[in-house]
Amino acid sequence: MIRFEQVGKRYPNGHVGLHELSFRVRRGEFLFVTGHSGAGKSTLLRLLLAMERPTTGKLLLAGQDLGQISNAQIPFLRRQIGVVFQNHQLLFDRTVFNNVALPLQILGLSKTEITKRVDSALERVALSDKAELYPGDLSTGQQQRVGIARAIVHRPALLLADEPTGNLDPRLAAEIMGVFEDINRLGTSVLIASHDLALIARMRHRMLTLQRGRLIGDGEAGV
Amino acid sequence: MSATRSSPKVSERVAAKAAEPTPPKKKRHDHDDDGPDFGTLVAAWLESHRSSLLDSLRRLGKQPIGSFFTCLVMAIALSLPMGLSLLLSNVERLGGSWQRAAQISLYLKLDASPAEGAKLRDDIKAIAGVADAEYVSSDDALKEFQQQSGLGEALKELPQNPLPGVVVVTPNEVDKPALEALRTRLAEMPKVQQAQLDLVWVERLAAILKLGDRFVFGLTVLLVLALLLVIGNTIRLHIENRRVEIEVIKLVGGTDSYVRRPFLYMGALYGLGAGLLSWGVLAYGLNWLNGAVVELAGLYGSDFALAGVPAADGLSLLLGAVLLGYIGAWIAVARHLRELAPR
Repeated sequence: MIRFEQVGKRYPNGHVGLHELSFRVRRGEFLFVTGHSGAGKSTLLRLLLAMERPTTGKLLLAGQDLGQISNAQIPFLRRQIGVVFQNHQLLFDRTVFNNVALPLQILGLSKTEITKRVDSALERVALSDKAELYPGDLSTGQQQRVGIARAIVHRPALLLADEPTGNLDPRLAAEIMGVFEDINRLGTSVLIASHDLALIARMRHRMLTLQRGRLIGDGEAGV
Repeated sequence: MSATRSSPKVSERVAAKAAEPTPPKKKRHDHDDDGPDFGTLVAAWLESHRSSLLDSLRRLGKQPIGSFFTCLVMAIALSLPMGLSLLLSNVERLGGSWQRAAQISLYLKLDASPAEGAKLRDDIKAIAGVADAEYVSSDDALKEFQQQSGLGEALKELPQNPLPGVVVVTPNEVDKPALEALRTRLAEMPKVQQAQLDLVWVERLAAILKLGDRFVFGLTVLLVLALLLVIGNTIRLHIENRRVEIEVIKLVGGTDSYVRRPFLYMGALYGLGAGLLSWGVLAYGLNWLNGAVVELAGLYGSDFALAGVPAADGLSLLLGAVLLGYIGAWIAVARHLRELAPR
């Protein structure tokens, strides 16, 4: 699914985001990327989303070389990925339904199909009764779940999440992680960047540890 | 469905799912084989355009005063060159009617008798391209000159009348080469000493109109540029206000054309509003001016009146305004699209 081969990222100001990173993620795998602030977690996610390109090495996602991908291909690559942000990135002038429907509208699905899939995604995150509300009417945890519903509604092959539980209390954080595991059980690869080691340890999944852009650990969390 | 909409706790729902017979883990994802067919894509494309148009209308409607003033500024920029152009058209129309009064004066030989002059007039009237011909005998010409010059007593002392008889010819054609050809033909007729065609004033008017046309063209170019700047700046503000939305759209796979579409509709709608306003302003303005013009023309014995905004010109104005709005929006979005990369 994902292959990092000696991937490095150096910014124009000389700062090195990642140092020759090499690892693989299998299809359907669930893994955490952890590390302190500035370790390179966000850089890694940005590379996977083609928001940036590696300066060295080779990064393959579902067989596509992200170092060589053209700008015109990037939207189509992103349609295979779902993204969940710490700050949700919801559109507050659209209803929950319309926030979740956005990726499907972009895909060009019919109204009937959109309604079916949005209902299903909202049901998956237990927000079926909030479809007509606006994000501003929801709690932080509910907003995060709307973000998750939007990320999974188009049935992506890969789900990326950047500190998805950063603003949540432990109970809500555990709930959200439960949703991610549920999605993973359906075959979606899940990669979560988080520094919540206690939460990660409880979940017993593969964990990559980054430090100053280098991979210093790759093993099961809590072991 | 209604039961699930009562929002069970996520953990409960996950637990319930875990209790269900576990489906075999999928090897491939649903999205791999459920792409929409062509008909669905076309329908979705049309739906996307419809929703972009409605969304743009809604956003303009949310700020009615701001939208109106933007349209008004654009309308003024459109009305200036269009108004001048319409006024020039009217002047050209007026000039055309004056041109029809362009005359050729045929000065007859001194030995031409009044009878010969009258016959010549009748012969000339029969020529194609001649609207009218009038004979002024040498005696009538002298009387007229005595009255107009104030030299009546001095002229009486002359031993003989020095003025020739004149045939004044009014042609049908206003085209200069045709007038020249007619003048040459008339000059060759018997008893004609000299044929004079005075087109200097017509040429001056044509030169003034040509200058006016160039001025309108230059003004149009400048105001079109100003209009593009106005629409570009307006669209830039809309883009700034929707930056987060655009970033999210791009992150979930929206193409540049998907991002661009609502702004293009917005530009076209601004153009449409400005075109309609401009048409109204011009129609009202010309009607307002017409009263004074009719009064002035009446003093000169003319029934001249300003023509309003012809439907074809009005529709061209609308189409041009919509196109300008669209192009201005396109330029603005193209300029800013690069800055809209998700952060």
